[in-house]
Amino acid sequence: MELTRREFIGKMRLATLAGLSTGVSGLPFLAGCKTGRHSLPSTADSVILLWMAGGMAHTETFDPKKYSPFVKGMDSASVFSTFPSIPTRLDGIRFSEGLERIADTMHLGTLIRSYRAADLGFILHTRHQYHWHTCYPPPQSIQPPHIGAWIAKELGPKQEVMPAFIDIGQRFTVGEGEELKAFHSAGFLGSEFGPFSIPDPVNGLESISPPAGMDLAHFERRQKLYRELVKAGPLANAHEYQQESLMRSMERSYALLKSPEAKAFDLHEEPKEIYDQYNTGRFGLGCLMARRLVERGARFISVTTEYEPFLGWDTHENGHTRALEMKKQVDQPIHQLITELHERGLLDRTLVILASEFSRDMLIEGRPDQKVLDQVDVPEKVEELVHYGMHRHFTEGCSMIFWGGGVKKGQVIGETAPERPFSAITEPIVIDQVHQSIYHALGISPDTHYEVEGRPVYTTPDGQGKYIRELFS
Amino acid sequence: MINRILFLANLLLIGTLSFLRLEEKPEDPELTRIIRDIKKQGKKADTALLGALNIKVRAIWTNRCFQCHSSEKRKGMLALDTYEAVLAGGEEGPVLVPGNASKSEMIRRLRLPRSNREAMPKKGQALSPEQVKAIETWIDFGAYWKDSAVQLFYEAPLSLEKPIFPEYDGGHSHPVDRFTASYFKTYKIKWPKSLSDAEFLRKVHLDITGLLPSPDSLAAFLANEDPDKRNHIINRLLADQENYALHWLSFWNDLLRNDYSGTGFITGGRKQISSWLYSSLYEDSSYTRMVKSLVNPHPASEGFIAGIQWRGEVNSSQRVEMQAAQNISQSLLGTNLKCASCHNSFVNNLSLAQSYGFASVFSKLPLEMYRCDVATGTIAEPAFIYPQLGPITADSLPDRLVQLAEVMTSAQNGRLYRTLVNRIWARLMGRGIVGKVDDMDQKPWSQELLDYLAADFVEKGTGLKDLIRLITSSKIYQSRSIDYGSEEEIRNSDFIFRGPAKKRIQAEQMADILSEVIQPVYSGVSFDPGAYHVPAAWIWYPEKEFDRIVLPRPDTVYFRKILNLPAMARAELLVTADDEYELFINGKPVTSGKDYRYFQPVDPGEALIKGKNCIAVKAINKGYLANPAGLLFHMRIHLPDKDTLQIYSDTSWLVSKTVSGESWKQVKYKDRDWVKIHRYGRYSSSHWGMLRHFNFDAKEQPPFSRASLVSADPFLKALGRPTRENVTTARSQEAGLLQAIALQNDPLLHQRVREGSANWVNKYQGKESDMIDRLYLHLLGRIPSAKEKTKLMEYYKGHPGKESVADIIWALLMSPEFQMI
Repeated sequence: MELTRREFIGKMRLATLAGLSTGVSGLPFLAGCKTGRHSLPSTADSVILLWMAGGMAHTETFDPKKYSPFVKGMDSASVFSTFPSIPTRLDGIRFSEGLERIADTMHLGTLIRSYRAADLGFILHTRHQYHWHTCYPPPQSIQPPHIGAWIAKELGPKQEVMPAFIDIGQRFTVGEGEELKAFHSAGFLGSEFGPFSIPDPVNGLESISPPAGMDLAHFERRQKLYRELVKAGPLANAHEYQQESLMRSMERSYALLKSPEAKAFDLHEEPKEIYDQYNTGRFGLGCLMARRLVERGARFISVTTEYEPFLGWDTHENGHTRALEMKKQVDQPIHQLITELHERGLLDRTLVILASEFSRDMLIEGRPDQKVLDQVDVPEKVEELVHYGMHRHFTEGCSMIFWGGGVKKGQVIGETAPERPFSAITEPIVIDQVHQSIYHALGISPDTHYEVEGRPVYTTPDGQGKYIRELFS
Repeated sequence: MINRILFLANLLLIGTLSFLRLEEKPEDPELTRIIRDIKKQGKKADTALLGALNIKVRAIWTNRCFQCHSSEKRKGMLALDTYEAVLAGGEEGPVLVPGNASKSEMIRRLRLPRSNREAMPKKGQALSPEQVKAIETWIDFGAYWKDSAVQLFYEAPLSLEKPIFPEYDGGHSHPVDRFTASYFKTYKIKWPKSLSDAEFLRKVHLDITGLLPSPDSLAAFLANEDPDKRNHIINRLLADQENYALHWLSFWNDLLRNDYSGTGFITGGRKQISSWLYSSLYEDSSYTRMVKSLVNPHPASEGFIAGIQWRGEVNSSQRVEMQAAQNISQSLLGTNLKCASCHNSFVNNLSLAQSYGFASVFSKLPLEMYRCDVATGTIAEPAFIYPQLGPITADSLPDRLVQLAEVMTSAQNGRLYRTLVNRIWARLMGRGIVGKVDDMDQKPWSQELLDYLAADFVEKGTGLKDLIRLITSSKIYQSRSIDYGSEEEIRNSDFIFRGPAKKRIQAEQMADILSEVIQPVYSGVSFDPGAYHVPAAWIWYPEKEFDRIVLPRPDTVYFRKILNLPAMARAELLVTADDEYELFINGKPVTSGKDYRYFQPVDPGEALIKGKNCIAVKAINKGYLANPAGLLFHMRIHLPDKDTLQIYSDTSWLVSKTVSGESWKQVKYKDRDWVKIHRYGRYSSSHWGMLRHFNFDAKEQPPFSRASLVSADPFLKALGRPTRENVTTARSQEAGLLQAIALQNDPLLHQRVREGSANWVNKYQGKESDMIDRLYLHLLGRIPSAKEKTKLMEYYKGHPGKESVADIIWALLMSPEFQMI
C-alpha cells in the first residue's frame, strides 16, 4: 500500500515523536545506508578503551627485551629494556617488571605485539592520536568522527538514559588542546554523537546533574514551569517539527539529569575497599568509573592516562623512572577492572582495549632508516639516569591488549624482533584492522557509510581493513 | 576559574529502521519519465530519448561503479567509461548483450542478493530498483551510446542575464514578490500570512544585526504610523555598521573557514583573516572586491587560500594549494572539487586534471598529479575550472592570481554571483533557492528569481547590504514561516516553495541576547576589531614537572615587584587575576578581586610613594585539577611634565609559593629564593581572551562582547558553532539531546542567568509584574497573556526571590517561541 506524501509525513512525525532521531539529527546533508547493518551478529555490547596517551614503549611494558641495568657510562646502543621481565599467565610470555597484575589477566585476553602505527611523516603525537581514534590521518576535506561517535551513532547507548560515548581523563586546556579537540569530535555525524567529557572522574557527577546549587525539587519545578508556559503560550497547538524536536530533547535531558542512572557517575557510591583498589590516581579512578558506566548502559568509554606534551607516557627524558611511575598508575586498576568485569559476568560482552598511538625506542626515531628533525638528543654513553630510557618515537612495533567481547582468551598475535630495531616481524597489524575488529565485535558492518558532500565515507578509509580473524574465538 | 567542561553525547533510541526509507536516495523523476516514454514508443523509440537514457546510465556508472571499473582502475579488467570498454567487457567476457538484458552478466550481478560474493556494486548499497531498471531498459533497447564528448552531469550555465518580469498581477510590485507571485500562481500556492509589526521587528533585527529590539524601540515602532516605517528600520539596521559586521562575521567565518583558534596555529601553519574580514563588513565592501582580495590576497586576506598546513606528510589531495582550490570552489563557486582532488569526480563533471590545474594556479612550482595518493607522472597545467571564462596563462604565481581575480569576478561568471545570493537568501529565508547551497548545479525552485537576484546584485555593484535590503523589504520575507514538516522535505530536490522556513536561533545570537538582556556572557574576546593591545602578560608561578612548564596547580602564590619612582602627579592601576587576588603597595591593601572578569581602574593614592615601592600580590588558583591561572597588571603613572610611566606584569616580577609573616609586602625582604614568573599568556592569550575593558581609556567600551569575537567554547559548540577546520555552509538546525543537556546545566549559562536575575530583581523591587512584562517584551516582543501572567506570578510567589526569576528567564530562553525565528 503506497502512502501518499501527506500520510508519509504524518507517520514520520509520529515516528519522530516516538523518539527516533537516527539520521535526522546531525548535519543536513547526511544520507546513508542502513538496511541490514544491525542484523550482524555481535559478541560485544560495550567498549572500554584504556588509552596510554603519549606513546607507551613496548619494550618497557608488554614486549620486554634483554634487560640492561643502569651503569654509568654504558653504551646507549646496548640498552634494549630498562626493566627485567616477569612471567604472565601465558606460557613463555613475559611482561616488563611492574605489570604483574595485568600479567595476571592475560588468560582472559589476547596480546598483540605487532601493531604498526602509520607512517605520517614526522611522528607527532596529536597527529597520530587523531589517526588512531578516527582512522583517517589529518587533514581531511571532511571532518571524520571519533570511533566512539561512530558507535554512538550506529548503536546508541544500551540504556536509554545513558550518554553513549564518554571520554574520561583528558583536559583540553593543556598544550596542543586544539589538536586534541579536533579528533574528540563526532565530525560530520553531528555534535549529538560527540563525547561526554569528564576530565576528572572524582567530580564526574557534576556534569550529569542539575546545575550547581539546584536541588532536585527546584529542578523539577523549573521543568514544570517550562512545560506550562509552552502550553499556555501561542505555540501550544503548533505541531511544527522543529518545535517538537526541541521539546522532546528538553524532556529527555531533564529525565537524564535526575535519573538514578546518573548515579553511575558518582564514585563515592562505591564501597571503600573497592574504591581503594582503583585509587592510584585519576586514571585508576577512571577505570572504576568505566566499570560503573558499563554496568549502567554506556556504549563506548575511553579512559586515558591523559596526553599533556612531555608528560605521562610521553617520556623525552627520565624514561626509566617515569615508566616505573606510569606502570604503578595503570597496573592494579586495569587488573581490578578486568577481574571485576569477569566476576560480574560482564567481560564476555564488554570489549576492553589497551593501546597507545605509537611506541618508543632509545635510539630509533620513526622508521629505522629515516632522518627526522627535532629528535631527542641521545648521547652515545648513558652517564645519568635522565638519559636512561626510551625517549624517541617508534612506530614499527607496538603492543596492544584486547580482553572480553568475544576475543580469544590467552593468545598472542605477532612478535617483534629481539634486536634493534624492535619492529614487528610477523603478522603486522594496522589501525584499519583494529577499527574493523572493534566494529566486528559490535556487529557494525564494514559497509557502514554516510554520504558527505556526495562522497561515501566509511568507518575506515574506503571501508578498508579486514577484521583480525584470530582475535576472535 | 570558570569550570566549563561540558561535551555531551546523544542518547539514541534505536528505532524501527525498516520504517526509515527516508534515507534512500530520492527517485529521479526525469529518469522515470524517460523509461516510461521509451517503453511507450517501443521499437520506434527515438534516439533523443535513448541518448538521454544512456546519459543517465553512464551517470549511474560514474557514481557507483567507476571507483573500481574505469580506465584508471580496471577491476576484473572491466572499464565502463568508454563505449569500446563497455562492449569489450572484463576478463570473463562481455558484461552485456545489446538487446537482451536478461542474458547480460551485468544485470545478473546487479540483481544478486547482497550476501552473494559476485553481487555488484561490491561496496556500499545495491543500486536502487529504478537504477537497475534503467540499465536493463537501456540494454534491451540496444545499448545506444550517445557521443562520448558529453557532460554526464548537469552543469548550471555560467552566463547571467536579468530575466524579464512576469506580468504584473496588480498586487505585488516588489521585484522579489513579483517572481514569487508568479511562482505561487503556477503552483497554486496561497500567500502565507504576513508578520505583525512586532514579529517583523524581531525577525529583521535578528537577521541584520543579530540583536533584539529593545522594548522602547518596539513600542515606538508599533506606535509609528508611517507606512514606510519597515523600510526605515531596515535602513537603520543596515546603517549600524558595528553590529551588522559583528553579526555577519559568524556567517563569513563559517564560510571562509576563519577562526581565532584551532589546529595549525601552534606551528604557524594557519593564518587568520579576521581584521580584513571585519573591516570589509564594517565598510560594506563590495562582494567583488572581497573576492578579489581573497583570490589575489594581500597579507591580511591571504589566510583563506593559505589553508591549514599540518606538520608532517600530508595526503597530496590536502596540500595547501589543493585546499585553496577546494575551498574557493565550495565557498565561492558552489561546486565540489574535493572528489576530483583524488580521482575524476564521481558526482560531477570535474576531473583530476581540472582540480590539479586549479590548484596549480596557487602553486609556486608545477604540481605533479596524484591519483588516490599515487604519483601519475603528469604535471598539471594551471587553469581555472571554468576555462571558458578565461585562461590563466601568466608564468609567476602573483601574476596568475591577478588573472584569476579578474576571471572569477567577471560579469560572465554568473556562478559566482548566483552562489552568493543563494547563500544570503538561505540565511534569511531558511532554505536556499538552490537547496544544497554548495552545489549550484542542483535545480533552483525558481531559476528566474535566482537569476534576478544575481543579475541585480551585479548591476548594483555587488553590495551585500543592497542585497539584504532587497530581500528583507519583500512581502515574502515579511511573511509567517511555513512548517515544511521535516528536514527531509526541505532538502528534497523536488521542493515546492511556500514561504520562509523557520530558522533556529544561532549560538552567537543566543549568547548575545543573554548578554544584552540578562548578563554579559563574555568579557574577553579572541579577536578585537579595535586592536587594542597592552604589553602586560598573564603571569604566574612557573609550575614544572620534569623541568617543563605545566598548567598551574590549585594553590596560593605571592608576587613581588619593586619599583623606583620619581615624583608623580597621579597614578592609576588596573589589575585582575584568575581566580582571586589581594594587592598591596608597600604593605597597604589597595584592591582585591574574586572574579577575573570584574575590575575597574584604581587610584593607589598615598600608598604609592616617590622612591622605592613594593607591589605585592597574593593570588589563588582554585579548582580540583591543574588549570590556567594568571595575574594581569598595568599601572600608568602621570609625571608632572606630562610624561607617563607604564608598569606591566612582565618578566621583571618575582613569585614564590611560600612567605613568612607580612614583611614580604615590603621593599625590604629577603627574596633571594623567589623565582622569575612564567608568562602563561600575553594580553591576547587565547584562554581568557582579550579583556577589552582592561584599558584606562575605555570610555566607549561596549557593555558586553559579542560572541562572534570569541573562540568556540562548550556552550557555543553545544548550540551549533562549528569548528572551522573545514568550510561550513550550513549549521544544524535541529535540537538534540546534547544541546539540551547543555541548556539544562551548562555552568556558564547557569551562572550568567543567576547573576542577571539578581540584577532584575534589584531593579524591580516589589514590582514583579512589571518585571515579567518587561522580560517578555524584550525577549519575545509582547507582553504575557493573562494566563501566562497568572502562572508566572504564582511561580514567583511560591519561592520569591532571584532563583525563581532565574527559572523564569531560563524557561523563556528555552521556549520554542524564543528559539525559532
